[in-house]
Amino acid sequence: MQIAERLPFVVRPRARRQRHLNWRRILTAYAFLAPYLIVLVVFTLIAVLYAFYLSFYRVNLGIEAPVFRGLKNYQNIWFDLTHDGDFKVGLINGVKYTVGVVILQTVLGLALAVLLNQRVRARGFFRTLFYLPALTSSVAISLIFLWLYTPDGAINRLFSIFGLQGPNWLHDPLTALPAIMLLNIWTTAPTFMIIYLAALQDIPPTLSEAARVDGANGWQVFRHVTLPLLRPTTFLVVALGTIGAFQVFDQIYLMEGAEGGPLRSTLTPVVNIYNTAFRSSLFGLACAEAFVLFVVIFAFTIVQRRFIDANIQY
Amino acid sequence: MATTARTADTRAAPGARDRTAAPSERPPLKPQTAILYAVLIFYGIFSLAPFILAFISSFKTYGDIVNNPASLVPQPITGANYQQILGSNAPFPHYIFNSLVYAITTAVLNVVLASMAGYAFGRLEFPGKNVLFALTLAVLMIPTQLILIPKFLVVNALGLANTFGALIIPAMVTPTSVFLMTQFMKSLPHELEESAMIDGAGRFRAFWQIILPLTKPAITAVALFQFQGAWNDFIWPLIVMSSQDNYTLTVGLSYFKGVNFIFYNLLLAGAAINIAPLVVLFFIFQRYFVQGISTAGLAGR
Repeated sequence: MQIAERLPFVVRPRARRQRHLNWRRILTAYAFLAPYLIVLVVFTLIAVLYAFYLSFYRVNLGIEAPVFRGLKNYQNIWFDLTHDGDFKVGLINGVKYTVGVVILQTVLGLALAVLLNQRVRARGFFRTLFYLPALTSSVAISLIFLWLYTPDGAINRLFSIFGLQGPNWLHDPLTALPAIMLLNIWTTAPTFMIIYLAALQDIPPTLSEAARVDGANGWQVFRHVTLPLLRPTTFLVVALGTIGAFQVFDQIYLMEGAEGGPLRSTLTPVVNIYNTAFRSSLFGLACAEAFVLFVVIFAFTIVQRRFIDANIQY
Repeated sequence: MATTARTADTRAAPGARDRTAAPSERPPLKPQTAILYAVLIFYGIFSLAPFILAFISSFKTYGDIVNNPASLVPQPITGANYQQILGSNAPFPHYIFNSLVYAITTAVLNVVLASMAGYAFGRLEFPGKNVLFALTLAVLMIPTQLILIPKFLVVNALGLANTFGALIIPAMVTPTSVFLMTQFMKSLPHELEESAMIDGAGRFRAFWQIILPLTKPAITAVALFQFQGAWNDFIWPLIVMSSQDNYTLTVGLSYFKGVNFIFYNLLLAGAAINIAPLVVLFFIFQRYFVQGISTAGLAGR
């Protein structure tokens, strides 16, 4: 409204609206869209189709033209899955990682948002503070934690204050993956906190007040009024979290190396695909692995949608 | 004066409601409130401590870093780590330059190209609009790492591998930017450019002179997100940039972790250099960061 008033033009209602779309209008619209559509088509759509095509080929970049090998790549994946190969190990680690990270970061993001949605002074200050881990590059964070997680590092020094002996975080197969999971929860939860906070502030206060009048306590209001209203946000946060967690690469590559050590305990699907493509030069197989992973993530997202829908009662 | 008085009033209001229970002058600090602030402060420290410790330690010597990892006072305080990284023989100034080229170019291109696309999606009617916008939303949900290999093969086939074209061209207009711009464009009143066009301006002029200046918050958010994304990007430059001259800062930093030895002192100074520009940008523009994330969060509705 204010914006319209500031305009130097006289706002005249249109005498008659042109209902039909003429070619010029269509051309103008597509001219505006052209750069975006070109990038989208070339680097996403063609890339996906190309990957699907190559998943049936053997690809040796710069050595030979792609050689058709039918379902061989997919058969290789099947063999890998039935014989404890890297792809299977990566997939299992990926599922463990994703389930742990998504559940905890969603709960943490929601909890932080609920806390900040109280009558809090200096809300902006706390929000800024909490957001810092999400702002920083995964490379800088991974390198800092490579140092903090050393056996005699700051984290274990903190443990020793309480008389506890901290583990060799990144080199013990039992703790390596959880250590990186904790790191990722810490860096991703603040983004979801902001999304939840925006959603919480969208909820009209009259709803919770009405429930209060009906005698509901704080927890009941949260459980039966707030949480159901946050359902679309929860689905989004869980879906984005799943996609992000399944794709973890930077942290593993920097802290544990491309082998996903110790003893493949941190080998995740994308690290594995990276190895297949860039260390073994099996690009066709890497494309096939990417498609199988895509199907897994897609299935996960659908199951979550069902689960989130079913678990909320009105 | 009037403003301060009003702020004081609104601050008193919640307290006034509490006073119905205890009619004292100042309500005593309720235990819930104390716990709330304790939790907030604890989590604040939890969020900040690793950065503070790393930043302070970047002024320590290698021996001091390894022997006293948790001490908050470097002994001695030294700027040698930064000198070594930023010195004239070191490759890092060049890596920083490469990262800046990647981040700034794609931020500017995203502002221009995504606002054009957002204008078409948000304010024009044309056949195919709904399908293309649905496609944009779908692409937002595709795991980006999964098209990494095919994207690399496309870039390679186009002869762009190991050039800045490989970094910039695929990222010059992202679906996220287009989505943010579209949402903002939709929210502006429709009469705006109609009146301008009646006065004889063309579509492009209406877009450029009327609409674009009004989308400053969205433009800022798009520029910030793209800058942050490119500045922090690791796997894509790692894959497409094979010669050392073309490394970005993140790729350069990753080489501090050798196979047998880790230069913790240089690594911490490098991490600080990587983090600092974003922290400055965030403190200046945090309103736009928050608005942008909140808008992106609406994608699921």
